[in-house]
Formats: sequence, C-alpha cells, structure tokens
Amino acid sequence: MDHAEIKNLLPLKALSRLEGEEARAVDEHLAAGCDECQRELASFTEALAAMAIVEGGDEGSSDQIWSRLRSRLDDARDQSKIVDRPPARIENRAMRESSRGRGFAMLGSAAAAVLLAIVVSYGLFTSRIQSITAGTSNDIAALTTRVIELQRNLDTTGDQLAALQAKVAQTTDLTLASLGPDARVVRLTGLPAAPTANGTVALSSAQGTAMLEVSGLPPTPDDKQYEVWWIGEKQGPLRAGLFEPLSQGATIVSLDLPPPGEVVLASAITLEPRGGVDKPTGAMYLKGDFPRR
Amino acid sequence: MAADNRITDEALVSAMAAGDQDALATLNQRYGRALSAVADRILHDKADAEEVAADVLWQLWREASRFDRSRGSVGAWIMMTVRSRAIDRIRARKAREPRDDNAAEPTVTNDPSNEIHSAEQRRKVEIALATLNDAERELLRLAYFSDLSQSEIAERTSIPLGTVKSRMRSGLIRLRDALQGSGE
Repeated sequence: MDHAEIKNLLPLKALSRLEGEEARAVDEHLAAGCDECQRELASFTEALAAMAIVEGGDEGSSDQIWSRLRSRLDDARDQSKIVDRPPARIENRAMRESSRGRGFAMLGSAAAAVLLAIVVSYGLFTSRIQSITAGTSNDIAALTTRVIELQRNLDTTGDQLAALQAKVAQTTDLTLASLGPDARVVRLTGLPAAPTANGTVALSSAQGTAMLEVSGLPPTPDDKQYEVWWIGEKQGPLRAGLFEPLSQGATIVSLDLPPPGEVVLASAITLEPRGGVDKPTGAMYLKGDFPRR
Repeated sequence: MAADNRITDEALVSAMAAGDQDALATLNQRYGRALSAVADRILHDKADAEEVAADVLWQLWREASRFDRSRGSVGAWIMMTVRSRAIDRIRARKAREPRDDNAAEPTVTNDPSNEIHSAEQRRKVEIALATLNDAERELLRLAYFSDLSQSEIAERTSIPLGTVKSRMRSGLIRLRDALQGSGE
C-alpha cells in the first residue's frame, strides 16, 4: 500500500474504524515516521474532538469527576509515603530466587527493626496502661484503643514489607538484565494506538534474565492481554510474555528468554486475546529495534 | 482547543507535571463535563462515564511530564482518549454480559453550550458541522459515539459498506477543512 492509499485511509483511522490489513498497513506507515500522515491524522483527531465536545451533550458533572480525582490524589499521597511503584503481576518467575536473597535479608532486617519498635511501643503502652489502671476507666479505654491501633499498624507494616520485597526483586532482575556482560537494552516507543506509552526491554542471556518496564498503556478489555514479542532474525515474532498494565505507574514484567542462537532484532507489544497467541494478530502498541552489534 | 485566553491547556499540563493540583482542577472544569458526556453517550451509564472521565484526567496527571504536544493538542488527546477508554469498557462489558438486542439506540442530542468552549468556539464547530450533509453527519456520529464496526454501521443504516466508508471519509475531511477555515 503506497503513501496515497494510506493517506486515503487516515479519516477512518482517526475514527478507529480500520480493520485487518488496512489497519496494520496504516500503523506500520505511521510508525515508520511519515510526518505528513502524522499531521493529517492529527488534524482529523482535532476535528473529531471538536465535534465530540459539541455533540456529546451537556449532562456531565465536573464536580463528581473532581470528587473521584480528589480521592485518587489523596490515595496517591498516602501511597507515596510507602512505595512509589506497586508490584506488577509477573507471568514468569523462573530464575529469580537467587537474586532475591540479598533483598530479603535487607528487608528482613528492616522488618525486624520495625517489629521491635512496635513491640517496644506496645510494651511501653501496656505498662502505662497498668500504671493508669488505678486511674479512671476512661483513660484505660483510650489506651486500649491505642494498642489496637498499634496492632493494626503491625499488620499494615507486614503488607508494606511484602510490597517492598516484590519491588526489590523486580528491580534486581531489571538491573541484572541491564548490567549483564551481554546486556542488550532497547527503548520501546508508543505507536499511534498508544502514542504516550513508552517502555524499556533489557535482555541478558548470561544472567538468564529478560525484563520489560512499561507505562502509559491503556487498560485491557477483560478478554484481552498485552503480549510481548521478540522479533527474531530467523524465526520472526516469538512470544516473550503476557501482562496487564497497572492502573498507575510503571509495570514491570519478567519475560521468557528468546531461544538460543536466535538473533533478536526488535521487541514489540501487541494486544491479543487473553492467554496469548503464537503469532501477533492485534494492533501494535509499542516497538523498539535493538541496536545492531 | 484551548478553552479561554487566560491560560492554555498546554500550560496547565506543564503545571500538572510540576504537581500543581489546581491545574488539574482547572482542566477538569474545562473538560470534565464534556468528557463525562461523551463517555455517557457511549456507555449509557452515568457512574461509569464519570469513572472513565476521571481515568482520563488521572492518566494525564500521572503522565503530564511526558505529554508530547507535537502529537496534537491537549483537548484532542483528552477527547480521543475518553472515547477509546469508553469503548474499551463497553467491549469488556459486552464480554461479560449476554447481548441485549433490545438495548436502546444511542440518541443524538444537540444541546446548547457547555462551559468548556466559549460560545464563539462552539458556534464555529456547529457551523462546520452544518457543512456536512445529513448522511455524513449521522455516520460520523455513529462511528464516534458507538462501538459498531464499519460492517455493523452499514447493516444498521442499510447503506452499502463502500458508501459508509466514503461518506465517513468525506464527512470528516469536510469537517476538518471547515474548522481549519474558521480558525478553530
């Protein structure tokens, strides 16, 4: 399909009404960096947005939306005190255990310190309760409430430590993949299906580790998952892993290694039926070419 | 597609990247109702629509520092993202629920001004829409505010598939050209 034919399809692309080969051809043409078609597509998108604002109606409530946003801002502020990025669901957990030892030991020490502090606090409060027993019953009730709060804090701390452990494990894997003697790292760029998405893939066969960090992808429908691909020189697209993006922040995914002997030219992410497929069938959301050696 | 002359949408996004929650609130004032209305046109569920609208603004808040102006305006990104998210949600809903063939048809309303665009900007869009013939306008509405494929649109409107495609194309080109001619 040549440039003129692609350009002819751009209004339907802006309406997300392209299917099959036409959709694939347009996506590839845009991903190849045709500035004229990018501008043309953007002009149609602007026109549709203007139409949507006028035709959409006037029944929404910004107050209700702000209430939801306010709640999320508050949650994010609370979470930021604990951890920046929650753990992603990992599809392939093989080859990770050895790298976790140090992280667990470190967090184990932290956990012990936190537990000790809470136990000491608990003890202090308990002894204080005993000394106040002779006082008013109201004081005792207040201190008992405080003890219950401390116990709750202890449970919460345990959950937070588990989240930190998972994060350290993921970060360790990502670092190992990036720093291996044969490390290959590629930056994935968002394609028109997800222009604001971006990601990084790190691969080290020597470390036996391959990882993806990605953000900015839209949520998947219930019947779909994102599938990661190695684009091999000999075998073409090869399955690397499945994932669903976190609703907030970056998602880290452990990937299957490409088969030995295969030269990986690129990595890509497509949206596929849940459970994945052997060869890509859906729209491509991100892609990046590995630097040639 | 900036809403007024006081501060541009792009400046608000830059302020959001620096953690300015007031900028997010201002952007919500400008686009929140339109986002919710568009999502509601697609989803026919007010609560879901508000959630989707909040999702879109939340995504922009989280990714404000990476917003790429060269790919289009903030307003266009917001309006296209809300449509995409609403359609994702309706597809997920369809996957979970049995099909209801008696479901109400999307209704097209032509309500007067909202608070996002000034009356003058709104008038320009309405004038541009008036340059489309009825068939083009109706097909654009169906394509934008529904999850119907081209074939389904052809079936629903009893118009041949090739004609559906050509009218969508000509309608959108005419709308775009009319808006660009009006300086929108």
